[in-house]
Amino acid sequence: MAEMSHSAEVELSQASVSESRAPARGKQETRPVYEVGFHIAPTVPEDGVAAVVEEIRTALGEAEIISEHFPQKMTLAYTVERSDLGHREKSNEAYFGFIKFALERQALPAFEDALRAIKDVLRFLLIETVREELVAAPRRAVFSSDRLEGETIKTPVSAAPEEKVEVSEEELDKSIEALVN
Amino acid sequence: MPKETYVAHFQRIDYKDTEVLKKFLNPHGKIMSRRRTGLSASNQRLLAQAVKRARFMALLPYIVR
Repeated sequence: MAEMSHSAEVELSQASVSESRAPARGKQETRPVYEVGFHIAPTVPEDGVAAVVEEIRTALGEAEIISEHFPQKMTLAYTVERSDLGHREKSNEAYFGFIKFALERQALPAFEDALRAIKDVLRFLLIETVREELVAAPRRAVFSSDRLEGETIKTPVSAAPEEKVEVSEEELDKSIEALVN
Repeated sequence: MPKETYVAHFQRIDYKDTEVLKKFLNPHGKIMSRRRTGLSASNQRLLAQAVKRARFMALLPYIVR
């Protein structure tokens, strides 16, 4: 894998920078919005993941947390190696999660250093983003006519069956005779 | 797929959305050209950036042999 320094991970796209500088409504909202995606090493037991996430949240300090996705175990697209622990460690799976937050630009290097110091974090990516959710909403089908949308097609209600009236034989004979005559 | 469909998607492109990104990769995992994706220049740049981020985070492979 091409070596990519962690400092290069702060990718500030021009588009997202301009979008995040929305008109200020309050002091909190003037801060740029970032998102940190991270992999937690698979050596961490399932119940220890929450502790690592808490460690990351502590590193964020006074940042306003906008949204969060709890790390889920996933298979990586390739083997991730790291050798900064004194020995070479290979991982084929990791817990991937992300946190979106608003933080002062000056506080970012300190956060990066703190994140790098957490040995259970296999790899992380810090990007500048926008406050709005980026996850695409599922596309809905487009109907050429909206008339039938959301309505169940009702079966026509048949007329109520006529009640059977018991007719005595005498009455029946009379009516037949009346018809014949 | 019509070009309009992708353009609508691309206002919300994200490196974590790997299922969408995969549609723009060829079988070797390379980013398709603009001629094949039919995207505007700016959307193609956003796509390239998202794919590169996803590759770094091992959500997408750098290469498929």
